[in-house]
Amino acid sequence: MFDFLKRFATPKQLREAGVLGMNRRNYEIIAKSNNRRLYPLVDDKVQTKKLAAGVGINTPHLIGVIDVQNEVAGFLSLVEGYNEFVIKPAHGSGGKGVLVIKDYDAKRFVTASGKVLTYNEVYQHISNILSGLYSLGGKYDVAVLEEMVHFSNQFQDFSYQGIPDVRVIVYQGFPALSMMRLATKESGGRANLHQGAVGVGIDIRTGHAVAAVSHNRPIRYHPDTGADLMELQVPFWREHLEIAAKGFEMTGLGYLGADIVLDKYRGPMMLELNARPGLAIQIANDRGMRNLLKRIRKHYPNGLNYAERVDFVLKQPLAID
Amino acid sequence: MLKKLKSVRAFLTLGLLLSLAFAGYSACYKVKYWGFNFTPRQTTDVWTVEEHVSFMPNGGDIRVSLARPLSAAGFKILDEYIIAPKYKIGKKAERVELTSKPRHKLQDIYYRVLLYDNVDSHGKTEAEKPNKPQKPIMDEQTAALAQQLLEMSERQAGDNIQRIVALFNQNPPDETVQSFVPAPRTAKATAQAVIDLLALKDISARMARGIKLSEGKKTLVPDVMLEAYVDGMWKIYNLESGKKGLPSDFIIFQRGNQSLVDVEGGTDSITKFSVMKSIRSSLRMAGHRAELSRSKSWFDYSIYSLPLNEQNTLKWLMIFPLAILVVVLMRNVVGIQTMGTFTPMLIAMSLVKTGFWSGLVCFSVILGVGLLIRAALSKLNLLLVPRISAVVIFVILIMQALAIVGYQWKWEMASSALFFPIIIMAWIIERASITWEEDGALNATKEIVYSVLVAIITYFVIVNEDIRHIMFAFNEFNLVILFVVMLLGTYTGYRLTELTRFASLAKKGGNHV
Repeated sequence: MFDFLKRFATPKQLREAGVLGMNRRNYEIIAKSNNRRLYPLVDDKVQTKKLAAGVGINTPHLIGVIDVQNEVAGFLSLVEGYNEFVIKPAHGSGGKGVLVIKDYDAKRFVTASGKVLTYNEVYQHISNILSGLYSLGGKYDVAVLEEMVHFSNQFQDFSYQGIPDVRVIVYQGFPALSMMRLATKESGGRANLHQGAVGVGIDIRTGHAVAAVSHNRPIRYHPDTGADLMELQVPFWREHLEIAAKGFEMTGLGYLGADIVLDKYRGPMMLELNARPGLAIQIANDRGMRNLLKRIRKHYPNGLNYAERVDFVLKQPLAID
Repeated sequence: MLKKLKSVRAFLTLGLLLSLAFAGYSACYKVKYWGFNFTPRQTTDVWTVEEHVSFMPNGGDIRVSLARPLSAAGFKILDEYIIAPKYKIGKKAERVELTSKPRHKLQDIYYRVLLYDNVDSHGKTEAEKPNKPQKPIMDEQTAALAQQLLEMSERQAGDNIQRIVALFNQNPPDETVQSFVPAPRTAKATAQAVIDLLALKDISARMARGIKLSEGKKTLVPDVMLEAYVDGMWKIYNLESGKKGLPSDFIIFQRGNQSLVDVEGGTDSITKFSVMKSIRSSLRMAGHRAELSRSKSWFDYSIYSLPLNEQNTLKWLMIFPLAILVVVLMRNVVGIQTMGTFTPMLIAMSLVKTGFWSGLVCFSVILGVGLLIRAALSKLNLLLVPRISAVVIFVILIMQALAIVGYQWKWEMASSALFFPIIIMAWIIERASITWEEDGALNATKEIVYSVLVAIITYFVIVNEDIRHIMFAFNEFNLVILFVVMLLGTYTGYRLTELTRFASLAKKGGNHV
């Protein structure tokens, strides 16, 4: 009769496991580390790109920006010379409104998942972006056209279509926790956990998988490809961490989530920064992060540059907590 | 950082305690001085007692003196009217005096009092010890009779007074009593006889004349009761049953021997009493009560001094803070994600106006039809603002259709569609359909179900008549809610839904409860 209660943990158990809850994240971490004034820096992808270039972070090349309706018709001339491109809203979040065109001519547009769109449909999509359909709060937005990322073959077996990316939580400049998000059939090629993507916790010192979840439940194998997720090893791990750590210098945000993808030719690139990264990363890592953040706040040194901070993190003893 | 958190919490907790103290005090004040109740629909009986005096002037100066009801005796005077054209009116504590120059025609004077029960100590009036009663002067024969009666009274049941009263109510009537007070006995004569007998026993007693309130009563004779001084208090006795205590429906106009109505300068005076009962809500009585008390000036600045129409609007608004509290609890303590922060609250408000089931059915119909239309609209690839506008117009059309169909088919339920906020409905449809497209039907359904669930919970909190009454009559509790909401703003504990979301992280081996 009370079986459903077994699916609940007690607050005490979660406290002991050091789980950071949403209320505490908002009150103690975000409200105190992230000045609201800084949000526009990460909410606007064009702005983020410029800032990233300033601190030497690789991002996908910007092809162009469409900011008024009467420029929409000219999008084809903008992408001239590019074999593939990505359209995304500058103020989008969670991968909403991102359209990846792998192949096209003047009439047909093939998306990453193989769907074929007409010119009108793409035109409409850009119009929707401008009218604010995908932006936070429905405000008028601009459409960003950028070069497509050439995903490294490294993760081919680990992701069903779509874009695997690495999310690193950075607290006071120190990479704290990370996970890799792998698309599944269910998630429709997108890497959002709530849409059914797989989250793989990645050891912050080694870049190696430590645990994996799908829909908040631990798993071992990818539901579609069957790959053993525990074998996942992210190459260029130090570079990943450096990009994430630089996000602190770049924005001044004390608590941020950096989304990083691995490009076949250009190495790790920053896709976007998030000022309010979610808490699912704890489940993917099978560990709470409250104590870790507390330790960083209390005991990690101040005044280091990004490389020194990454060094410091990499030198942490293996058994944390 | 933590210190700051603590000081914010301490500050807000202090605020909460202060607001609680204030609300508590203010509520007591309202109950005590304004007669507010914690339950709604509390009504107060208001009695209208009319004294109609008519007489023929005899040519001299006219002076009419009427007894006023004694406010200390269980009732309070709500209002008082005197209809006596061109008389000079003088009011004293216990009597109203009307004077006029000589007149010629038949005079009709109306004295109308509106009374309400103020639930004082019924029938017990503390008073200073009266002087020892004067022994009545009796001839020998009467004195012997009296002595005999007193002896007889010893055999009756009850206290001293009740025993004597009982003598006069024997059936068949006792002969000794008959000879002491010859038949037919008026209530007044009986009362006087009892008072005389009590005086022989050194017990002070007096008559209390007034009106027994009963709906539609018309009478020429005022009712009489007996008041006797026992154990430091004047206690009232019924002259027919001997029952102690002032009946809750008896209003005393006059104590002692003075008459209720004195007419000088007139003859053939007739006094008629009539009684009417009306019921008023306690809340509406508040103003009258406040006027009688020293709290009048405060009352002027409360919402109850506003016209009824404004009061009704405010009554509606006063429930909002509570609904907001429910939403805050649902989101930050339970952790249910809903469409838009206050959307569920607005749905709940609509449900209150439409009724629960008919509201839910209409909501579902509007949402269902709206989603279908929205799905068709998305094929047209319209821009955002025109598209949402189209949805708004469609919602209006659906409501209209429901209202007309409902009327024609005598299906009243459907007309409640009109109470749903149009723009909110349109946004719910828009959001649901976007979630549907992007995150799948499951997530969209979840969002809708959660929102409706929160709306239903909110509905059951705010639909409760008692709660609404309290939030309106004791609106200072909204201040308490304000501080509770702000304190919740510092709540950093886990949300209920997080207990299951993060359950897999709980220390392994530990008991999941």
